[in-house]
Amino acid sequence: MIRFENVSKTYKNGTTALKDFSINIEKGEFVFLVGSSGSGKTTFLRLLLREEAPNAGRILEAGRDIGALPKWRVPYLRRNIGCIFQDFRLLPNKTVFENVAFALEVIGRPNSTVETQVPQILELVGLSDKARNLPGELSGGEQQRVAVARAFVNRPLILLADEPTGNLDPTNSEIIMGLLDRINRTGTTVVMATHDKALVDRMRRRVIELDRGELVRDQARGVYGIDESGSA
Amino acid sequence: MRIFFRYAFRETATNLWRNILMTLAAVLTVAVSLSLVGAALMVKQTASQVSTIWQQQTRVTVWLNHDATKGEISSVRAQLAALPYVHGTCSYQTKRESYNQARLQLTPNLFAHLNVHGMVTAFICEPQIPTDTAIIRSTFINQPGIYDVTAPDKQIKAMEYVISIAQIVLAILAAVLFISAVVLILNTIRLAIFARRREVTVMKLVGATNWFIRIPYIAEGFIQGLLGALIAVGLLTALYALIPFSRQYHLSSQDLLGTNIVVLILGAAIGSLGSIFAIRRFLDV
Repeated sequence: MIRFENVSKTYKNGTTALKDFSINIEKGEFVFLVGSSGSGKTTFLRLLLREEAPNAGRILEAGRDIGALPKWRVPYLRRNIGCIFQDFRLLPNKTVFENVAFALEVIGRPNSTVETQVPQILELVGLSDKARNLPGELSGGEQQRVAVARAFVNRPLILLADEPTGNLDPTNSEIIMGLLDRINRTGTTVVMATHDKALVDRMRRRVIELDRGELVRDQARGVYGIDESGSA
Repeated sequence: MRIFFRYAFRETATNLWRNILMTLAAVLTVAVSLSLVGAALMVKQTASQVSTIWQQQTRVTVWLNHDATKGEISSVRAQLAALPYVHGTCSYQTKRESYNQARLQLTPNLFAHLNVHGMVTAFICEPQIPTDTAIIRSTFINQPGIYDVTAPDKQIKAMEYVISIAQIVLAILAAVLFISAVVLILNTIRLAIFARRREVTVMKLVGATNWFIRIPYIAEGFIQGLLGALIAVGLLTALYALIPFSRQYHLSSQDLLGTNIVVLILGAAIGSLGSIFAIRRFLDV
């Protein structure tokens, strides 16, 4: 599903974010991306979204070389990728329903799709009774569930999560983790960058560790850190 | 497609309404700028009409000395009749007629010094084309019995000069306002983009196409430009209807229509330009 072949990325200011990085992630896998801040996790996600292009190497998603993708095709690539972030990125002046519906409207989905899909996905994340609330009226955990609903409402093939539990207490982290796990079980590939040691250690999924742009560990059913020096 | 239009329409309407003061400023600037452009165009059309009329009415006057002999007079008459640059036959103005004309043109004090016998006579001729006046003058000016050969071409040149200066001033004013209108629209769109930057981020994230994101902003600028142009068209039409001067100088309603079409096209261009600049500069898609 996702394949990096000797990918290097150096930013204009000279920072090398990824160095000769190769990885292969199969369809339906759940992958934790760990490493200290600045290790290249975010660059990895940005490359997947084609917000950045690699300086060298190839990135294949669903068999397509996304480096060769013309600029106007990028939006269509992103329709297959859901995204959630530490800071939720909800629209504060739209209700929960409208926030999720927005993701469908702006890619031109008809009203009928919006009216069936949005209640369904809100049911999945357990927020049916909060559909008419504004994000500001919700707790952090609930807001992140709205973000998950928005990311998944279009049934993407890949779900990227950039420290989704970074702003949440352990209980809400568990809820989000549970949701991502359920989404993964539907066959969606999930890549989650995280600093949450407890979650990683408990889930025992594949762990990819980055350090200064290089792959230092790729472990099936792994833990957050083998030695404590790499943990943040 | 239907969904897209509904979305674009809603977004555009919201943007225009949310930024109502800036929208108003932009629309009015466009209106004033285009009114000036339209006025300049109409002045230009009027000027060319008027100068054509003036030139058609140009007459060359061949003045004869008050003591010109009969032979000299008939020689001039014969030459004028044979000259291909003269249209039709020239009319002869007698001493009495010159005297009466002088009475109309001079103050009583000056006129008191004149007597009929001291007056000059003249042939008044219509040139074949206005520029023939110069040839007629050079033919006769040095002949015996000729006092002077005159035509009002200097005055026409002076009037045309004044009109061309007025046109240049109007054009410069219009150009300055044109630029400020583009900048104002650019700024309005920039504010609209800034107000919706979160939406734009989310739209890019979930895979909205670039044109889906851009169109509402372009439509906003386009509508502002067009609204301004419509106001300008109203002003110009009112001006045309209210001032009889425009009809007197044969400015037809077709000229007005042409001017209005140019104004509408320019309005749409101002709006689109402003929003395209704003999008290129401030909308990172």
